[in-house]
Amino acid sequence: MAREPFPQLEKFRADLERCTKCGFCMSSCPIYQEERLESSVARGKIMLIRELLAGNLSLSNGMADKLNRCTLCRTCAQNCPAQTEVPAVITAARADKVAKKGLSFPYSFIFRWLLPRRRLFGRTVRLFSWLERLLFPRASGTLRHLPFFLTALGKGRHIPQVAPEFLRESVPEVSPPPQGVPVRYTVGYFSGCMTDFVFPGLGKKIISFLNRQGVTVILPESQGCCGAPVFLGAGDLATGRRLADANARAFEGLDYVITDCATCASAMKDYPRFLADTKEREESYRSFAMKIRDITEFLVDIMKLPPEAFRASPEFHGKTVTWHEPCHLGRYLGVKEQPRRILKALKDIKYVEMPEADRCCGMAGTFSIHFYELSRKIAAKKVAAITATGADIVVTGCPGCQVQLADSLALQGSNTRVMHIMELLE
Amino acid sequence: MIEKPIIDELCRIAGRENVLTAKEELTAYSYDATNLWRHLPDAVVLPHTSEEVARILRLASEKRIPLTPRGGGTNVSGGSIPVRGGIVLVTTRMNRIIEVNRTNLSATVEPGVVLQDFQAALAREGLFFPPDPQSFAGCTMGGVVAENSGGPSCLKYGVTKQYVLGLEVVTADGRILKLGGVTPKNRTGYELMMLFVGSEGTLGVITKINLRVLPAPKASQTIVAVFGDVATAGETVTDIIASSILPAKVEFVDNWTFDKFRGLLPDSSLKRAQGILLIQVDGLPETVAAEAKEVVRLCQRRASEVRVAQDKAEADRYWQARKAHFSDISSRAPTIVNEDVCVPREHIAEFIRLSQERARYYDVPLSFAGHVGDGNFHPVVLTDSRNREHYTRAVKCVEEIIDIALSLGGVLSGEHGIGLEKQRFLKKAMDPAAIELMKKIKDVLDPHHILNPGKIWED
Ligand SMILES: Cc1cc2nc3c(=O)[nH]c(=O)nc-3n(C[C@H](O)[C@H](O)[C@H](O)COP(=O)(O)OP(=O)(O)OC[C@H]3O[C@@H](n4cnc5c(N)ncnc54)[C@H](O)[C@@H]3O)c2cc1C
Repeated sequence: MAREPFPQLEKFRADLERCTKCGFCMSSCPIYQEERLESSVARGKIMLIRELLAGNLSLSNGMADKLNRCTLCRTCAQNCPAQTEVPAVITAARADKVAKKGLSFPYSFIFRWLLPRRRLFGRTVRLFSWLERLLFPRASGTLRHLPFFLTALGKGRHIPQVAPEFLRESVPEVSPPPQGVPVRYTVGYFSGCMTDFVFPGLGKKIISFLNRQGVTVILPESQGCCGAPVFLGAGDLATGRRLADANARAFEGLDYVITDCATCASAMKDYPRFLADTKEREESYRSFAMKIRDITEFLVDIMKLPPEAFRASPEFHGKTVTWHEPCHLGRYLGVKEQPRRILKALKDIKYVEMPEADRCCGMAGTFSIHFYELSRKIAAKKVAAITATGADIVVTGCPGCQVQLADSLALQGSNTRVMHIMELLE
Repeated sequence: MIEKPIIDELCRIAGRENVLTAKEELTAYSYDATNLWRHLPDAVVLPHTSEEVARILRLASEKRIPLTPRGGGTNVSGGSIPVRGGIVLVTTRMNRIIEVNRTNLSATVEPGVVLQDFQAALAREGLFFPPDPQSFAGCTMGGVVAENSGGPSCLKYGVTKQYVLGLEVVTADGRILKLGGVTPKNRTGYELMMLFVGSEGTLGVITKINLRVLPAPKASQTIVAVFGDVATAGETVTDIIASSILPAKVEFVDNWTFDKFRGLLPDSSLKRAQGILLIQVDGLPETVAAEAKEVVRLCQRRASEVRVAQDKAEADRYWQARKAHFSDISSRAPTIVNEDVCVPREHIAEFIRLSQERARYYDVPLSFAGHVGDGNFHPVVLTDSRNREHYTRAVKCVEEIIDIALSLGGVLSGEHGIGLEKQRFLKKAMDPAAIELMKKIKDVLDPHHILNPGKIWED
């Protein structure tokens, strides 16, 4: 078999060679825990990719399937004594695959055409939400990640309730603090697709909270999708660059870009690593990445708000609350303490830590569409952990996780509510 | 190649989703944690029950298909490599913890349970299983028994064989044998069960395991000591053992793998040092305090720096660094030759000095690490198998290090087993009559030699 070029994988050859097959990645891999196959886990995937590069394996459908069976939760990399950055290797492999084989429909259509066109995307979402009401029973309140909206339909699954009014239709581009509150900071707000189309209430809450703390919030009209499902999930780097360029430009001249979605934040911080193909892009992506802060990180580390600044909304007083740590927040951005500090500061709720709060919920964008059953099994473990705390509310820092948690809790008949941590606040 | 009718039969036995034949799936079962051994199986099967295992073995025996049992595939002796092709029987889907019994201090598990998951289940009951191979995040209980594994804690608590109370084993002809029981004492007939402990998958497939477990120690204390010279670290180990204190663990790493200790110990003391001892004492809080004090005193005689971990978090950081040793040393050279000799503890320092002398003679880098408390060393020679000349010297050096260990009254393998990696040394490490007897036992239990063929002794 002739050796084929794998330009993206070549960038991560050092990582590929670093793995010593010690097996420390095994017991904590959420996929391995379900499938119990050597090819589920980082060690196995690394070996398959090495064989691919050596020309002993080809990019068959079976091989593609193996590459896709990963939530990129990064638990393996965290446990790896050789510091093999496995998720980067998998992402690179997916990118090389797309470059060779292309994307399949409907991903090709959604990623290449629809996602980069924010307005049209919004309208399509609305059209489908209308269709959804025609086709599916309502009420159950189960949700799926939006960028996969169209494919999700095909699988006959419950679809998110799309908001009647999107965030950017309902707030101005610049929101200053109320009269009499001096301006301490001016920040850009990157609202991901989920907040924009499904959870606009969360976006409004964040803006008004920040305003009251003396922060002017700018919500640039020209921002788009972060690109996570496109370049990280599906390996489509070309479209990823179009999105990245637009976002970097949208926030030029601002010191901080805050996000409420850990996946968006970490994807945008990954622009330099995966998407920079020229010097200019490298520089622009780097300076953009440096500005990005998760909302809790911004409040705790940058603004250094005292505990008294955080109060739970009266409707949640007396409730027991637990925290689900998104993979992208904890293991990618290293934001672990900040949300917990906020929760501990809330006097009128009871905060309990769930077992393995940092364990992947199994959402992982495209993954949960390709492997819905597997994703549900992973989520079932999370549901068990949440249930064990007896919490009335589980809060998190990623709307993607929120969707998955709501779906899985509802499926198991639980009454626990799922919210973004910022929705708890007054 | 296995013909299609046999694959179909495997599917009928275990279910289609538990039989793998695609090239990428087979590739994932062609290796273990060793460096150079690779071989593709023709099929992989993942049974769920003992009955399925029995039917698979009957089929393999009938059709004379080689069959290699595999757990986590973390062994470092080539033990789970299907060198003759055929079927790899993977136990990872037989992973139920059947019982943890606090009153009886016993537990029953299926072979595919990962050691770390087993430990977590025991910890919830205030119990523990002492053998602690450092591969606990991937190795399975079947593999642990089949390799008779040990680990740091074996200094005080012994190796796996001291904890096996009963086994269910499927022999090559598909018979399901129940051996031993769940009581700590059992004097009924020959100790047949022990034949399968450490059998490296060559005599039968272990399908159920009854284990003795212990109450978890109430307290523990970790002491780190830094030494300017490897052999004086060895002398300190001998001192500690002779002092009538029995620490749970005494581990050693040399300056090849100090990287992981950077940030934990001051750079200034690491710079001059050649070896680190990591010691843990455990038991009741009062005894732990007294023993830790005595260990510190003994270390201070020769160490340049001695520290007592102030809390569990600090202790965990040291043990994490120790756990990373294998991966760290493996990444230091294209090829590593990793040995596993065990020497009587009075000769630890002598063994180190003589080995270092050989490494100088052959001019190859030699790193030491291991469970020195029980005299079990992992001397590693760093080389590159593509560089024939260097590799030949490395292999020669390793052979002589083994000779040194044997001449001091030691053994060829303390815990990793023989597999493929060490079979060429077996003749000099074992009484020829004993090798003959092993082969006869093999003939009785596996007359067609289908189980893990090509392992332990050279044909
Ligand atoms: C980083 C690292 C550290 C290690 N540290 C230690 C250590 O401290 N101490 C130690 O003793 N070892 C150690 N090992 C070696 C290895 O992990 C152990 O031998 C472990 O017990 C193997 O378990 P496994 O499930 O991975 O077995 P495998 O590698 O899958 O198999 C090992 C052998 O057992 C046989 N086998 C497996 N399951 C069964 C079964 N159900 N029935 C019959 N035969 C079976 C296989 O055929 C093979 O011959 C280490 C390895 C690594 C990579």
